[in-house]
Amino acid sequence: MSALRQLASKFFGSDTVFARRTVGGIQPLPFKEDSLRSRIMSTPIPQQLTIPIGAADGGEITLLVDIGEQVSKYQKLAVISIFTEGVSDVPVHAPTSGVITSIENSIVADHSQQQQLCINLAADGHDEALQLEPQSNYSLLSRVNIASLIRDAGVIGMGGAGFPAADKLRLCGESAIEFLIINAAECEPYITADEALLRERAEKVVVGAEILKQASAARRCIIAIEDTKPDAIDALKQALKSEMNLDQTCELVLIPSKYPAGSERQLIKCVTGIEIATGQHPTENGIVMYNVGTAYAVYEAIVEGKPCVSRFTTLCGQELKTPKNFEVLIGTTADFLFELCGIETSNKQKSILGGSLMGSELGSDKAAICKTTNCLIAASADEFQAPQAEQACIRCGFCADVCPSKLLPQQLLAFSKTADTTQLLEHGLFDCIECGACDYVCPSHIPLVSTYKESKKLIATRRQDLEHGSYWQQRFQFRQYRVKKEKDQAVSRKVAVPAKPTLAAGPAVKQQNKKTDFISKEQASLDIAAAVARVKARRDEKNQ
Amino acid sequence: MSGLVAGAPFQHSGRNIAQLMQTLLYALLPGIFASLWFFGFGILINIAIAITFAVLAEAAMLRLRNRDIRSHLSDRSALVTALLFAIAIPPGSPWWLVALGIVFAIVIVKHLYGGLGQNPFNPAMCGYAMLLLAFPLAMTGWHIPFEVITGPLSVDNLGTPILTAEREFLSQLSWGSFKQALLLAFPFAASGAIDISEFVDGLAMATPLIEFKMAGKSALLAARESGASLFARESETAWEIINISYLLGGLFLLYKRVISWHIPFAIIATVFILAALFYAPGSVAIYGTPYLHLFGSATMIGAFFIATDPVSAATTRPGKLVYGFIIGVSIYSIRVWGSYLDSIAFAVLFGNFCAPILDQYCRPRIFGHGLRSKSKPLPNEVPVKP
Repeated sequence: MSALRQLASKFFGSDTVFARRTVGGIQPLPFKEDSLRSRIMSTPIPQQLTIPIGAADGGEITLLVDIGEQVSKYQKLAVISIFTEGVSDVPVHAPTSGVITSIENSIVADHSQQQQLCINLAADGHDEALQLEPQSNYSLLSRVNIASLIRDAGVIGMGGAGFPAADKLRLCGESAIEFLIINAAECEPYITADEALLRERAEKVVVGAEILKQASAARRCIIAIEDTKPDAIDALKQALKSEMNLDQTCELVLIPSKYPAGSERQLIKCVTGIEIATGQHPTENGIVMYNVGTAYAVYEAIVEGKPCVSRFTTLCGQELKTPKNFEVLIGTTADFLFELCGIETSNKQKSILGGSLMGSELGSDKAAICKTTNCLIAASADEFQAPQAEQACIRCGFCADVCPSKLLPQQLLAFSKTADTTQLLEHGLFDCIECGACDYVCPSHIPLVSTYKESKKLIATRRQDLEHGSYWQQRFQFRQYRVKKEKDQAVSRKVAVPAKPTLAAGPAVKQQNKKTDFISKEQASLDIAAAVARVKARRDEKNQ
Repeated sequence: MSGLVAGAPFQHSGRNIAQLMQTLLYALLPGIFASLWFFGFGILINIAIAITFAVLAEAAMLRLRNRDIRSHLSDRSALVTALLFAIAIPPGSPWWLVALGIVFAIVIVKHLYGGLGQNPFNPAMCGYAMLLLAFPLAMTGWHIPFEVITGPLSVDNLGTPILTAEREFLSQLSWGSFKQALLLAFPFAASGAIDISEFVDGLAMATPLIEFKMAGKSALLAARESGASLFARESETAWEIINISYLLGGLFLLYKRVISWHIPFAIIATVFILAALFYAPGSVAIYGTPYLHLFGSATMIGAFFIATDPVSAATTRPGKLVYGFIIGVSIYSIRVWGSYLDSIAFAVLFGNFCAPILDQYCRPRIFGHGLRSKSKPLPNEVPVKP
C-alpha cells in the first residue's frame, strides 16, 4: 500500500492530496435541487425569538440578563459551561434588540428532542446593535488570541455535533497538526446549507479556513467537497485564486459523492488515508476538521467581530412552495420559517429535523432553531413512504456491504434480538455511527438503526446496573464481614479479657486496635505457647 | 418490536424481498428453457408439481404459525425453493416423489426451524438429499423421451448397456414426449399398467460427468471400440448449454446485485483448481477435465443459485470466500472419491454446517479497530506566527 502511495505521490507531485476509495456507502436520491434554486435569504426579524441556552448534556448556565431587561443585538445573554473535556464556556448572544419576556423550558430543534432552557426575547424591530470590533488584519493575531475571540463569539460546530470551536483549537495545541480539513461534504439528502453558502460566499469561507489554519498551526489546509457540486466547486476555485487567499495554502480536494462521505472519520480516511482508531480524537493523529459553516462563523467572528447569532438552514420538502436556504437568526421558530416558504399546513404530514437519513421527527413546529439546526423538511403525505411492514432478516448482507464502519449489521440485529451484549460489543455496536445506510438498503425493511439505538441504551443501563450492583454487593459483603467480625469478637471477649486500647492514637488507630489487637500481643503469644504445648503433649501420648 | 418505527431514516432504496426473489426467478429462466429444449417437458411438470405443493405447504404452515398468509406468501421465497428443488429432481419422476421432497423442504426444513430467515439449512437441497437417501434408484434415472422401436438394449461383455440404432429419440418438444412425461409423473393416469423401466433410460443419468464417473476406463474403451461413443451423444452439448445458461443467469444476478461474487467465485475457482491439479490425462482419466467439472455437471447452478441462498450461507465477506472454498472442495471430493453421483446438495449442506462458525471467526476488521499504533506525525515545522 505504501509503495503504491509513494508511486502516486511521485506521479502527482509529493504533496498532492487525492481522494481514496472508502468502504461502504450508498447513493440515495439527493433531492437537493429544489432548495438550491433560489439564493440564500436573510430572514426578517421575527417578533418573538426563543433563544436556547441549555446545554444538551448537562452543564451549567450563567444568566447575564434578567426578565424585563432591554438588550441590544450581539449582547451576551448567558454563558453555557460544558464539562465534557475540561470546562468550556460558550456564550449566547442576542440575535436582535428587544426585551426579555421570560426564561423557560421549550422545545428546541435539536436531535435530543428534549426541552431546553430558553430565553424568550420580544424583538422591538429596531435591531440596535452593539459596536463591533472587527480585526482587519487577522494574521497579526496569536493563536491564543484567535481562540479566545472565537470563544467569545460563541462559535460551535455548525455541522451538527456542536462541539465548541475554540475547544477544538485547544486540543490542536496539544499535538502537532498536519491537516486542517474543511468539511464541505454535505452528503445527506435534502440538506444544501453548506453548498449554498459556498456558492455565494466562498471567499469568506476560505478566509475562515485561513484563520483556522493559523489558529491550529496546521501545516496544510484541505477543503473537501463532493464532485457533484459544480457551482460550489467553481466558487471555491475562484475564491482560492483570489487575493484574499494570500498564501495560496488551502487546497481543494474533490471526493466521490457517496453517503456518508461527510462523516468525520470516513472523510479523514478518504482525504488523508489515515484511519482514526476507535477512541482516539483526530487531533491525536494530527488532523482537525471543521465544517464549512463553522469556518464562515469564524470568519464573521474575527474579521467582522460578529458573534454567532445566525446560521444557514435549509428549508425544503414537498409542502413548501419556495424551498430555499435561510440565514436564520438563532431562536427563530420552525413555523415562522415554514410560513416564509409558503406552506399549506393542511397537507403537511410531518416535519423532519435534519436530512432524510439521519433526521428525526420534529416534536413541535414551535421548536426554536439552535446553532446546530441544519435542515428542516416539511414532508407531504406521500413524500416519505410509511415504513413497510418489517420482514424477517434473510442475511443478504446488503447492509454489511454499505456499512461505512465495516460492521455486520445483520449479526448485530440477531444479537440485539437476543440481547447478547457480549457479542454486541464484540461486533462493534458502539462503532455504529447511526448513518442509516443499512436501513436504506434493507430489503426486509427492518428498522436497524432504531434497534441499535435501543441496544446501546440497554447496554448503558446494564452497565449502570452492574456498577450499582457491584457497589451494593460491596456494601453487603462488608456488612457480612462486619457482622461476622463482631460475632467473633463477642466470642473472644468472653474468652479473653480485652486489653484497653491506647487512647493516645487518633480514632483511626482506635478502629484498628478494635479489630486486630483486641487480645493483647503478650496474651496471644502465651495462648499460642499453651496450645503448642497441648498438641505436643497429645502427640507424645499417642507416640507412646 | 413493532414493524412501524417512525425513526430515521425516512428514505429507502425501495428494494424488498419479493423483488429479490423475482429477480432470482427470472435469472433461472434461461437454464430452465435450455433444460426444456434438451430434456423435454419433464422439468416443467416437476416445476408445476413442486410449486403447487410448495405453496400449499407454505400456506398451511403460515396458518398453523398464525402468520399473515398473504403477505408472507407474496415474498416468493417458497417459489424459489420449489424451483430450485424441481430443477434438481430428475425429469420423469413420479408426482409423489416431487411432492414428498418439497413438502419436507418447506414444512420441516424451513418452517419448523422458524420460517424465512431462520432455517440453518438450504430447504431445497435438504429435500433433495432426503429423497436421494430414501429413493436412490428413482433419483438417479433421467428420463429422455424416446420410442422403443425394436428390440431390447444390447449389453456388451462388461455389462455396460449400449444404445442401439433401433431406438429412436422423440423430438423433445413434441406432443408425444409431453404425453410420455405426463404419464411418468402421473402413472395412475395411464390406461393400463406401464413399465417405468421402459421409459427411463438408465444410462442417461444426470450429467456427463456422472457417466464419466460410472463408466470404468475399460468400459469406455470397449464402448468406443464397438463404435458407440458415450461422448458422441448429444447430452454432453446439452449440459454444456444448460450450464452456460445458468452461468448467464448467475451473471445477471451479480449485475443486479442480488448476490455477491464471493461465493460463486470461490466455488468455481476451487473446483477448477482441484480438477486441474488432479487431472492426469491418459493415466487416470476418471478424474475428468476441469472443463467437464465446470460445464458437464451441476456446478454452475450450484455455485450461483444454490450455495448463494443467503439465509443458510455464511454472511460475512471473508466468511463467504471460505464457505465457497469448503463447498468447492466438497463438490470435487464427493464427485471423485465419494459414492454419490453429483454432489451439490451434500456439499452445500456441509457448507451450511460450517456457516455459523465462519460468521463468528471470519469477520472483517471494523473501521478504526486493530490498527497498529502509528507513530505520531512529525512535529510541526511551520513556525507559529507571533
